[in-house]
Amino acid sequence: MEMMNTDDDSLCEDSGNETSGDDVDFNVEVETSVPKESQSYDDEYQYEVLSTSDIVQYMSDIIDEVNSVLQLPPTTARILLNYFHWDKEKLMERFFDGDQDELFKEANVINPFKKIPVTGKPKLSLKIRGTEECDICFMVFAPSHMTGLECGHRFCYQCWNEYLTTKIVEEGVGQTIACAAHNCPILVDDETVMRLVKDTRVKIKYQHLITNSFIECNRLLRWCPSPDCNYAVKVAYVDFKPVVCCCGHIFCFACGENWHDPVKCSLLKKWIKKCDDDSETSNWISANTKECPKCGATIEKDGGCNHMVCKNQNCKADFCWVCLGSWEPHGSSWYNCNKYDEDEAKAARDAQERSRAALQRYLFYCNRYMNHMQSLKFEHKLYSSVKDKMEEMQQHNMSWIEVQFLKKAVDILCKCRQTLMYTYVFAYYLKKNNQSVIFEDNQKDLERTTELLSEYLERDITQENLVDIKQKVQDKYRYCDGRRKALLDHVHEGYEQDWWVCKEA
Amino acid sequence: MANIAAQRIRREFKEVIKSEEVAKCAIKVELLNDSYTELKGEITGPPDTAYEGGVFVLEIKVPETYPFNPPKVRFITKIWHPNISSVTGAICLDILKDQWAAAMTLRTVLLSLQALLSAAEPDDPQDAVVAKQFKENIEMFQMTARHWTNVYAGGPHVNKECDDKIKRLVDMGVEEHQARVALSSYNWDIERATEQIFS
Repeated sequence: MEMMNTDDDSLCEDSGNETSGDDVDFNVEVETSVPKESQSYDDEYQYEVLSTSDIVQYMSDIIDEVNSVLQLPPTTARILLNYFHWDKEKLMERFFDGDQDELFKEANVINPFKKIPVTGKPKLSLKIRGTEECDICFMVFAPSHMTGLECGHRFCYQCWNEYLTTKIVEEGVGQTIACAAHNCPILVDDETVMRLVKDTRVKIKYQHLITNSFIECNRLLRWCPSPDCNYAVKVAYVDFKPVVCCCGHIFCFACGENWHDPVKCSLLKKWIKKCDDDSETSNWISANTKECPKCGATIEKDGGCNHMVCKNQNCKADFCWVCLGSWEPHGSSWYNCNKYDEDEAKAARDAQERSRAALQRYLFYCNRYMNHMQSLKFEHKLYSSVKDKMEEMQQHNMSWIEVQFLKKAVDILCKCRQTLMYTYVFAYYLKKNNQSVIFEDNQKDLERTTELLSEYLERDITQENLVDIKQKVQDKYRYCDGRRKALLDHVHEGYEQDWWVCKEA
Repeated sequence: MANIAAQRIRREFKEVIKSEEVAKCAIKVELLNDSYTELKGEITGPPDTAYEGGVFVLEIKVPETYPFNPPKVRFITKIWHPNISSVTGAICLDILKDQWAAAMTLRTVLLSLQALLSAAEPDDPQDAVVAKQFKENIEMFQMTARHWTNVYAGGPHVNKECDDKIKRLVDMGVEEHQARVALSSYNWDIERATEQIFS
């Protein structure tokens, strides 16, 4: 039974490995084409985790591939590829269809097929024949101490080193360092940089800048967003799918946020923005205050009397808090506000009710979202208490493998919390229909079972007999996981069948 | 590194002194200390501009990393120009920032600054007040710049009207430069300038 459930904790042990175990599992299922419940939605998505050296290798593979057709010097190919954001098809198209001279000029490289006569000829020192003067340090050197790019601007080795180091270390420029001469746009290729820079740390920084710009402009690559992680993930096509980095971090490839099924990236982005900005403050103001019907000043009612007198000294309007109409017809003998149906006042009330309702609705979802997020943070404490429990059990003649179910239970708990958290974002933007009612039922079920599992792991477990624990924990987490998958499957089906109608909020 | 900087400045210093612009008295550089880190520059106002006849003194600070980073330059002489702060003398010029190239020299910097005096870039201003006047009322700008050149840079064009207005404010107890700034900023409208000073 245990084996059936070992699924998605497939952290790959080494860089560059495909997460293969699950794919095999999936292929079997394609043949039988029976969706099994334990099959998680995401296993079919293929991706690779690349280390820094893998990335460098991958870059040079692309360059080689392009060069097998274009026959350019690799350094020129790299600059051109970078110019086209590493889209090799686009480069090929431009290369064969357009004006090649124009292409090289745009990308700021010298056309390697055309050795144009050097324009700026070496500045020969007047004093000593057979020497050149460096335009940066103004020292006179033998020509063997001077070097430059195809543009013909030559400087001494020491100045090149200083120049490139300044650009790389201080300005953080990688792929687009230009020749040191004034107004010369020709780019320095990577080979030249590596040859002329002396300090290894600078070289490492340079390589980092190069790989960084490669990843940034390549749609099929993304850095792992977790802090201090140097791995990148490579996919075959961009999709809203979870990827697991070698560091253990799980994130959505499409947007880079933590994996947020069932809610889609665009809505999550909207939600995060909503939570971050202050739009709810203004919602509060409009829900709890009214505006003076005459001057528009914002008013909060602080007493029982509905006869309002605007405190704005230039306004001093008398009006009724209930209907926002003028106070005059209300008189003093009849308090009942009979102005209820007056169009203008009604519109004002409606608008206010709407924003009050919107605020309450937002707070409802936000509260639950935040609550699960908070709990998720606390579950990390649970890991350590569970670890103690596992050690205790091992001392009671249980093997290491036998006690792993406890850790697995916490894993599942965290997954459920994460899913629950994002279901509230999903629900916030969801318009009510029959399917949304089913969704809410699923959500309720999952929430209830998750809380049960959480409570059991946190409290009840200490009172139980060690032998009973295993059965109970396994029952509980399997049920939780089942509910989670049922909920997600239902949402995914809804995406395919177009059940979900998005609410503008 | 500092070695290159000092070496460069020593050589550049000679270059400027020998250059034909010095012969024409258009630019000048003086050393302020022995370590070649601080210099004093001078440029003359270009002919046919409001700055003609004035001599503008510049503070030049050479960083350790020169010539891989640009020298820090500002005007010591007060000047009325869209790309130069009328308060601090800070300069907005691309070659002193991201367009600096290691192969540029003090001589090219001074000549570029001189070119800036004859061709202002009001769309990329350092001093918004001056730039606004430049764009909205070019004659008023020319007159003000000429007056500043006369007062601070030794230019030949005395403007009696300006001097009178300033004197009236000075008589009210306003400091002279403050009066000049206020009047310049409000197109020499003495009432608005007074209002601004005393509000």
